[in-house]
Amino acid sequence: MFRATVKSLLARKLRLLLTALAVVLGVGFTAGTFILTDTALKSFDDLFGNVYAGTAVVVQPQTAFKPGAAGDGSGTTGTPIPANVLPKVQAVDGVAAADGSVSSMPVQIVDPATGDVIRNGGAPQFGNSWDPDSTQLMTVAGESPSGPDQVAVDAATASDHDLSVGQRVRIITPTGSGEFTISGIVKFGGSNSFLGATLAIFDLPTAQKLFESVGRFDFIYVKGAGGVDPDQLAARISGVLPKGYEAITGASAAAQQQDEVSQGLGFLRTGLLVFGFVALFVGAFIIFNTFNIVVTQRSRELALFRALGATRRQVLSSVLIESTIVGLIASFVGVLVGAFLAVGLKALIGALGLKLPPTALVISPRTIIVSLVLGTGITVAAAIAPARRASRVAPIEALRESVAPSASIRRRVIFGSLVTLAGAVALFAGLFGSVSNAGLVVGLGAGLTFLGVAMLSPLFARPLAAAIGRPFRGKISGKLGSENANRNPRRTASTAAALMIGLGLVAFVAVFAASLKTSATATLSKVLAADLTLNSDQFSPFSPQLAKDLAKNPEYSVVAPFRQAEAHVEQSDTFVTAIDPATAPQVMNVEMDSGSLADLSEPNTVIVSRTEAEGKGFAVGSTVNMKFAATGVQPLRVVGTFETNGLLNDYTISLATYDTNVEQVVDQAVFVDVASGVPFDKAKADLTAFVKQNYPSVNVSDQAEFKQQQLAAIDQVFAIVYVLLLLSVIISLFGIVNTLGLSIYERVRELGLLRAVGMSRRQVKRMIRVEAVIIAVLGAVLGLAIGILFGWAMQQALKDLGINTLTVPVGQLVAMLIVAALLGVVAAIWPARRAAKLNVLEAITYE
Amino acid sequence: MYSTVTKVAARTEGLRKVYGEGDASVEALRGITLEFGAAELTAIMGASGSGKSTLLHCLAGLDEPTEGRVFIGDVDITKLSERHLTELRRDKIGFVFQAYNLIPTLTAQENITLPLDIAGKDVDQAWFDEVIDTTGLRDRLAHKPTELSGGQQQRVAGARALVSRPEIVFADEPTGNLDSRSSEELLKFLRGAVTGHGQTIVMVTHDAKAAGFADRVVFLSDGNAVDEMLDPTAERILDRLKSLET
Repeated sequence: MFRATVKSLLARKLRLLLTALAVVLGVGFTAGTFILTDTALKSFDDLFGNVYAGTAVVVQPQTAFKPGAAGDGSGTTGTPIPANVLPKVQAVDGVAAADGSVSSMPVQIVDPATGDVIRNGGAPQFGNSWDPDSTQLMTVAGESPSGPDQVAVDAATASDHDLSVGQRVRIITPTGSGEFTISGIVKFGGSNSFLGATLAIFDLPTAQKLFESVGRFDFIYVKGAGGVDPDQLAARISGVLPKGYEAITGASAAAQQQDEVSQGLGFLRTGLLVFGFVALFVGAFIIFNTFNIVVTQRSRELALFRALGATRRQVLSSVLIESTIVGLIASFVGVLVGAFLAVGLKALIGALGLKLPPTALVISPRTIIVSLVLGTGITVAAAIAPARRASRVAPIEALRESVAPSASIRRRVIFGSLVTLAGAVALFAGLFGSVSNAGLVVGLGAGLTFLGVAMLSPLFARPLAAAIGRPFRGKISGKLGSENANRNPRRTASTAAALMIGLGLVAFVAVFAASLKTSATATLSKVLAADLTLNSDQFSPFSPQLAKDLAKNPEYSVVAPFRQAEAHVEQSDTFVTAIDPATAPQVMNVEMDSGSLADLSEPNTVIVSRTEAEGKGFAVGSTVNMKFAATGVQPLRVVGTFETNGLLNDYTISLATYDTNVEQVVDQAVFVDVASGVPFDKAKADLTAFVKQNYPSVNVSDQAEFKQQQLAAIDQVFAIVYVLLLLSVIISLFGIVNTLGLSIYERVRELGLLRAVGMSRRQVKRMIRVEAVIIAVLGAVLGLAIGILFGWAMQQALKDLGINTLTVPVGQLVAMLIVAALLGVVAAIWPARRAAKLNVLEAITYE
Repeated sequence: MYSTVTKVAARTEGLRKVYGEGDASVEALRGITLEFGAAELTAIMGASGSGKSTLLHCLAGLDEPTEGRVFIGDVDITKLSERHLTELRRDKIGFVFQAYNLIPTLTAQENITLPLDIAGKDVDQAWFDEVIDTTGLRDRLAHKPTELSGGQQQRVAGARALVSRPEIVFADEPTGNLDSRSSEELLKFLRGAVTGHGQTIVMVTHDAKAAGFADRVVFLSDGNAVDEMLDPTAERILDRLKSLET
């Protein structure tokens, strides 16, 4: 029996290939995700290992928490180390050398060629002091910087932007901008670039001056004398440190940084794996479908096996063995494909700013095992139902001219409805209920819903397919194609279901994005009152010096800075926004539910959004215990609650409160009103010119431009999601190709007859094409319906967060339908060509 | 040796067909020159392997001769491109096969008008009605093939072959799968088309009773046309077959 299985597999190589392809892509993406994140981790480990290789101990401020990977961008979060700590550390027994260091972010290098700030996607722009004893930085050309006029830049930035030693560059620091001479080019921990970040290195006194850190250090790096144990040295140094500072070994500093990075990469991995699993889910449908069709086609052969004495179990296992072989081969190829995909994904996230140092791909045994188990498991699981059906083929059918009877429709309806219902319940529980791990529950619910609808879809496949086919029925080829699509509603429906999943998710994202944009536009129109908004691309903060510069200019009546910092409230991570309560009302319309915005001018006060206040039970007079990284827990008195809006986060404090609790003060945005009497256009032009000259990373936008900018940011995020979902859509196309190919194989005689009575090759192709288009559009219609429902559910769930209106992007959805139809045409190319090429005589005499 | 007919609907000249190459090659037709009269029912008979199906396939443009020429009317079809052959089959030829004659997704009526629909031509309603009436299938027109008996299916195939008024109809063992009553109904129907409407039909059969409905029977043996009989009857055909075997 095993040999028969292998033979039948090899006899149909093409089918094997197409079936396997569905698994290959899903496994490939999953494996690619693992390979990418493992490779990234490895390169970070190497990098940090190098960076701290010569550092025995690091002295740093203690912080209440480590800001996450998506930090607010402040270079340091704790209170800097007073300069007088350094001699104490140097005096500790076993210390060979100790140097103070300061850093800041953003410190931006202006490209002399373009006049724009150099930035690699979303990667940070660091400024650092030169530490002569450190092994972090190595000069590869020129000299280390010395004196108030010199800077060293990282090798990657230098080569990307043709910067050379001796050249003058403009650099923007927290204290303003100035011109410096490049004294040298440096490498960071042996790498040309620190993950895509730009580096500007000054000598210590210059850096302290530029970064507003005179008399203070952010870190002290300690080299140990020969033979001294770093742990003991750290303990000894801790003994001389004032309160609020800690000494840790270089190794644990590296480990801490690695932890942060691996946490960030963990998010990336989870996010990408979701798309890999969706692709595998879609692949499962195709496997199921292929095996089902094959079992039908082979029912006579299987019946013959049974008649010759094969047991049911043997037939069952023969199909399962076939699926195991397909699964194993496909998963193995998938791992190889994954390695290539990892390279592509690396480029994709590189474009988003995270440039990984070049390292050999890391393909860990875990990646291979998970991929093989996942790919093979899914393939076998999808083949179980067809295998069971195969085992039920009665021996007598070998002698009959009939198709294997299919399971009762009633059972399918009951089972399908139950699965759909379970899916809907899980979905709603995840969205509206308070379950732990809501994301997983929602995902499970969505998966079950798709599965349930797929099971029910044969019920409405016939009328839907007939309706979709109507426009094609005018010509005989279209009529036949449409009849063929209707011939086996189950086959049509389950082929369409694969596409339904991909397009369903695309439609869901489209509906959600459109609703988000509508709501964002509406909120911004309501809230934003400032004439002009200054902010930086990629939402990175900029120097508060800009606002100070503008405040002196009589052209502007209001200059209101807007700041943001990470904080913890009751264990949950949040971003707190800071405004000036005196000027805020002139630049934004904050609708207070209770209390007053003006009271925010009192020290240690906070206003809370309505949703957060309701959720956490805060009201005017109650206390919010907010934990800042630098200052730890601070009790803040609630002086008001406000209607949730698109500008202010859940917790908003005054600039004064912010400045006392946040170490490095940077502006996220500055709102500007033009003074009366000054023509708006002139004010805008002047401001744009000034900013372009002195703060090139900052954009000036009027109200319409600002809204546009916010919408573009939303679009950008969703564009990535679309690209990742494309994978599933492509896989489902293979499903259509596969089904059509197998159907043609079944209908050879019929095709021969049509050709014999005069149907041209073109008409045959058109017939197949129509069938493919109907399947694709059917999948799209079901997908769009589910997608809209999902979008609606999501919008309802997030109503409290300000997504008030459901917007169904009709144009976009119609475009998706058209694209689906075109995809059907593409999927039909190969099967149609094959059908048209059939030899007429062989076809009509085909047994 | 063979009768020349008054008006020729189709003819072959030195038709040879060889399958395979070298030692494995089989010569199915060994140079056949024949004429098929217009408005006649010609039966081609012979034992299995005599080449009668190959002859029919070559005549109908379904198979490519190795040598020789085939004319439908005045057209040498061995010189036609694939596209023109398809159009020829569509416009000038009708087919009735032994089995699998009908498209299962189409109704009887749609199957009958299939060649016209493929060509995008209008149905001549009067002619359609006449054909349907002679088949006696008027009340079965809306049925799918699976809902028809074997005899009914073959009559639908016959009606399809006639409805586009082709120059010539080729029937390949049309009664091969039918019981004797259904066979007779189908043959009467085909005979009627020839007598009543001047349709030309060439029919391959191994059934002497079926051949008895023909105007002329051509006998094939080992790829050669070996004999013919005009105005045959079933008994005379059986006698002739016996004499050919010996």
